[in-house]
Amino acid sequence: MALELNEKYLGYFYTPLAENFEEGFWKAVKQRKLVFQRCKDCGQWLHPPRPLCHKCRSDDLEWVESSGKGKIYSYVVYTRTVNPLYTVPFEVVLVEMDDEKVRILSNMKDTDPDELYIGMPVEVEFVDVTDQWPLPWFRKATGT
Amino acid sequence: MTLKNKSCIVGIGSTEFTRNSGRSEIQMAVEAALAACEDAGLAPEKIDGMVHFGTSGQAVMEIATETDVARCLNIPNLHYFAEAPWGGGACCATVMHAAMAVAAGVAKYVLCYRALKPASGQVRYGRPSSMPLDSHWSYSLPFGFASPTSWVAMFTTRWMHETGATHDDLADLAMVCRDNAVVNPRAIFYGRPITREDYYKSPMLCYPFRMHDTCLENDGATAVIVTTPERARDLKQKPAYISGVAMATADDSYCMMSFYREKIGIPETAWMGKDLFRMAEMTPEDVDVCQFYDAFTSLVPMQMEALGFVEEGGGAAFVRGGDRIRPSGELPINTSGGMLSEAYIHGMNLIAEAVRQIRGTSSTQIPDVEVSMSTGGLGVPTSGLILTQG
Repeated sequence: MALELNEKYLGYFYTPLAENFEEGFWKAVKQRKLVFQRCKDCGQWLHPPRPLCHKCRSDDLEWVESSGKGKIYSYVVYTRTVNPLYTVPFEVVLVEMDDEKVRILSNMKDTDPDELYIGMPVEVEFVDVTDQWPLPWFRKATGT
Repeated sequence: MTLKNKSCIVGIGSTEFTRNSGRSEIQMAVEAALAACEDAGLAPEKIDGMVHFGTSGQAVMEIATETDVARCLNIPNLHYFAEAPWGGGACCATVMHAAMAVAAGVAKYVLCYRALKPASGQVRYGRPSSMPLDSHWSYSLPFGFASPTSWVAMFTTRWMHETGATHDDLADLAMVCRDNAVVNPRAIFYGRPITREDYYKSPMLCYPFRMHDTCLENDGATAVIVTTPERARDLKQKPAYISGVAMATADDSYCMMSFYREKIGIPETAWMGKDLFRMAEMTPEDVDVCQFYDAFTSLVPMQMEALGFVEEGGGAAFVRGGDRIRPSGELPINTSGGMLSEAYIHGMNLIAEAVRQIRGTSSTQIPDVEVSMSTGGLGVPTSGLILTQG
């Protein structure tokens, strides 16, 4: 089972908005790449993005593509409709990335709610949510 | 210099709590303000300061501004006005603004209020019509992650995983709050108890939350009036002294989206509690009764942990069975029924109940209350309040 979007309600899609220092993340998403911000001076990962590194205050930041592998840190299952674009039941997961240790909110592809558990290995898969926006969803990790 | 006991709450007032008020936030705010003035024995035109709050400018339609209220009360002018952001996180922060204003002498009588109508109005939290245009939400709303219930559910799933808390524990808490509402004529659930079976039969809204884990959605307003102890002597009520009041953020705080820091949960409340107890020169053991902000069941045991009422991970065990949090228990909680069962006025009704416990006028009065506490919304920058007999 996957989250199904009710196309009748595509107008209810929340089009991502970005401040100047966030644009790198969303430009990469449009190119089906999951990137995270890293400080070139101290190596700190930053997500969601910041205009400067909170750890060393450097503004010399770069965007680094992620392996897309992570583990479920927490999750919820919607069983009551809030936004009719999203057909219930569906899952929202908080994934902690294996390499960067940053977390990202997302949806699960082809996974039943009963299968979810904290610590479950997952990997990113881009899904066309609208004709303008692919989004980084996750699926059960397939291998090593 | 400390704010301890430099100010007190001298008036409380509310509208009725209802599913459909049939009137605007402005009208309800004015009605609650007049009720608070009547309660205090204060002529409304004496109010010269106001503090109110909404949902951080995300939903302007639901705000009853201080100018709206002042023009209805024939108040010649205000010397102090402020808006405390962050929704329910702000409830006790309004009292902090007021306490500072009267202690500093910039205002004499400050009205703190909240009016809202999520049950019948245009602003219903989480619905597509209420989506804020702000880049912070780009990391959540495009994934359908769109309701306060689900946001708190996210850190509740993790907390249950880490502490072993169960749905039985949450049911116990919901039943205790409901028992308190059953004898409170103001409560929306007055006279309507629930059983464990009712809890489990209530629909799952967003795992792990069933309907009985979530607060009411209603219309209403509550106001309180703050002044100095000297001025309180000329008024009608026994003053509730503001012995502690605090607000706090924590590391990487967001509005309901603080999922990126080392430990998700409610560290804002831990920081707030440190300041609160320091100002009051107290520890949690001194608290006779507490109105915990209970928008969702899990938030109560989580706060007990964050504030030091119990050790970390011990919240669920403390509420288990309900005996320790009932009126006869060692820490009676949410004696009006709280927001799970009295009404959801973004915590202002909890402050009013904390005042009643000092006055001795609650429908579930705890004997000999010296110290009465209430807390603000969770998962957002938050606030808290300790009231005493002075």
